[in-house]
Amino acid sequence: MADAPLLMSLFHKSTDTAEAIDALHELGVLDHKIKVITGVPYPERAIGRHVEWLRLPHIVLAGALAGFIFGLFLSVITPHLYRLDVGGHPAVGFPPAAVITFVFTMMATIVSTFLGVLWEMDFPEFGHKYYHKLVTDGHLAVLVEYPPSLEEKVRQIFEQHGGHHIQRPERQPL
Amino acid sequence: MSDQTPIAGEEEMAELSPDLRDEYEGRLLLAQRKDWEINEAVLRPMMETGPRFWIAVAVLGAIVAWGLYAWGYMVYYGLGAAGINRPVYWGLFIATFVFWVGISHAGTMISAVLRLLKADWRRPITRGAEAMTAFALMMAGLYPLIHLGRVWKFYWMIPYPNNRFMWPNFQSPLMWDMVAIFTYLIGSSLYLYLALIPDLAMARDHTKGWRYKLYRTFALGWRGTEGEWHKLHRALGIFSVVIIPVFLSVHSIVSWDFAVTIQPRWHSSIFAPYFVMGAVYSGLAALATILVVVRSGMRLQEFLRAEHFDALGKLVMVAGMGWIYLWFAGFIVEWYGKDPVIMELIHDEISGKLAPFFWLQMVANVLPVILLAFRKIRTNTKMLLALTLLVNVGMFTERVLIVVGNLQRNYLPFDWGSYRPTWVEVSIVAMTFAGFILLYLLFSRIVPYVPVWEIKEGRLRYSLRRIGRLLVPTAAEIE
Repeated sequence: MADAPLLMSLFHKSTDTAEAIDALHELGVLDHKIKVITGVPYPERAIGRHVEWLRLPHIVLAGALAGFIFGLFLSVITPHLYRLDVGGHPAVGFPPAAVITFVFTMMATIVSTFLGVLWEMDFPEFGHKYYHKLVTDGHLAVLVEYPPSLEEKVRQIFEQHGGHHIQRPERQPL
Repeated sequence: MSDQTPIAGEEEMAELSPDLRDEYEGRLLLAQRKDWEINEAVLRPMMETGPRFWIAVAVLGAIVAWGLYAWGYMVYYGLGAAGINRPVYWGLFIATFVFWVGISHAGTMISAVLRLLKADWRRPITRGAEAMTAFALMMAGLYPLIHLGRVWKFYWMIPYPNNRFMWPNFQSPLMWDMVAIFTYLIGSSLYLYLALIPDLAMARDHTKGWRYKLYRTFALGWRGTEGEWHKLHRALGIFSVVIIPVFLSVHSIVSWDFAVTIQPRWHSSIFAPYFVMGAVYSGLAALATILVVVRSGMRLQEFLRAEHFDALGKLVMVAGMGWIYLWFAGFIVEWYGKDPVIMELIHDEISGKLAPFFWLQMVANVLPVILLAFRKIRTNTKMLLALTLLVNVGMFTERVLIVVGNLQRNYLPFDWGSYRPTWVEVSIVAMTFAGFILLYLLFSRIVPYVPVWEIKEGRLRYSLRRIGRLLVPTAAEIE
């Protein structure tokens, strides 16, 4: 969203926001050129957006598998490398190995979920971004990138659906 | 500001009878509030720190400093400065360690289990519960280090190839302890932080100076785009599922520290569920205690209402019933077994020198279960405070009885003995209690204590629906 013109409008109501987005779609604005910013997690479909496909579950599964292998290595392989024979006990017993493998699997799952979601969100992402502080006070912001010829029509759509603070967005330090 | 914010329009509210209107206004997710009013109500108490707050910080800081001195004294003179000796080689330190691990169990119970069950009353209390989990685990994590005596040798427990051929013994429950607690601490801290990001962004948008810099840094650039919300929701959903087995495993593993030995009364297959249930009971009770204090101290009556204490009180009661059941299930089998050493320990508890502790434990754990059956008591914050404090007096006594009481007798009568804690142990235990409260106090003034976005999301779900002549609250399926 760098070269084409941009417009941001705030809305009071989610219904108005969804209708404005529908109208933008009808005008020919592509869905990925529209961004909705809210202070409350509205379901995507409630504001006329598609549900994004995420890689997070795959990242989590990969993390869990890595943790499982690492746990197995610690509990099954290393007792043979650093052998400690105690009174006829086996070097590796199933119950202790199960506990250690389980715990490392869970640890890696948790860490990969956290790192995975940050990666998916491109966080941390400091610097200047298009934003409006009234969003956290309950307003819904719609940021749209459009061909220059549609500027007037986009503005009209926002106005017709109760948009306010319709303006060229400014990058704000975040 | 959005159309969902007024839960019922003014027209619908005008239709209601005054009683019903008051009742609905009394419910957090139905009350008529604007989003900016909620932001302000959460942020204002964070900024106001009166003299009482700083006096509390100074007193707690002094106790922590004294405890650190006692720890230093013990490091210098050795573990002999503590009262532990054969046969009671685990004393107040390990009893308090078990207690803190138990306290940590409420956060996951409230946040993860109730999130999965979509229980909306959890919304204003999740953050307080998660913070409690993280800080309680930090305190618990100190005890293995303290109990090492030679704390500087801690790194020997970390598995890495070295030329000493010192490799951690993963067959030992003490190693399981370390990795399980570390995993739970990482998990609960990340869970707390992840759900905090949108509220840090809200605080960033409403503050200046050092707070702005702090919130800006930790908000990581959050704006609230639909993609960010979607990913956050998915991650929190995964966390909620993954953290539950971790939460169950941690106190099970702590219980196996005891149960895998051949010590009388410890070698029991019921110890894991008994410990987990006790942990949930004491954790939920501690959460209720903290919420009553925080509500009054930070004037959060707007967010922590009778409905929340009512629901939390019910949970405490149910957990207490579970604890009583599991205690009895363990006791009856031991009693029927008539093993001489176990019977000696049982008699010592019920009518011997440990009897005052045993009966304190029973009264303190059973009486609240009976009284919390009454709604008037659950919603009376003073009564709830007294009863939940009593529960934790009971649970702490129970931990001391399990650890100290049972070690005084074993299968070899020549090796019987008793235990008395020293000033060093008492000071170190006091340090962790003061440290926990201090961390919690500071947390409540730096971080939005009430999860603002979760409350706003909950308010999206609620509206009034007409059924016949009634207008009744209805929750929408949007999560």
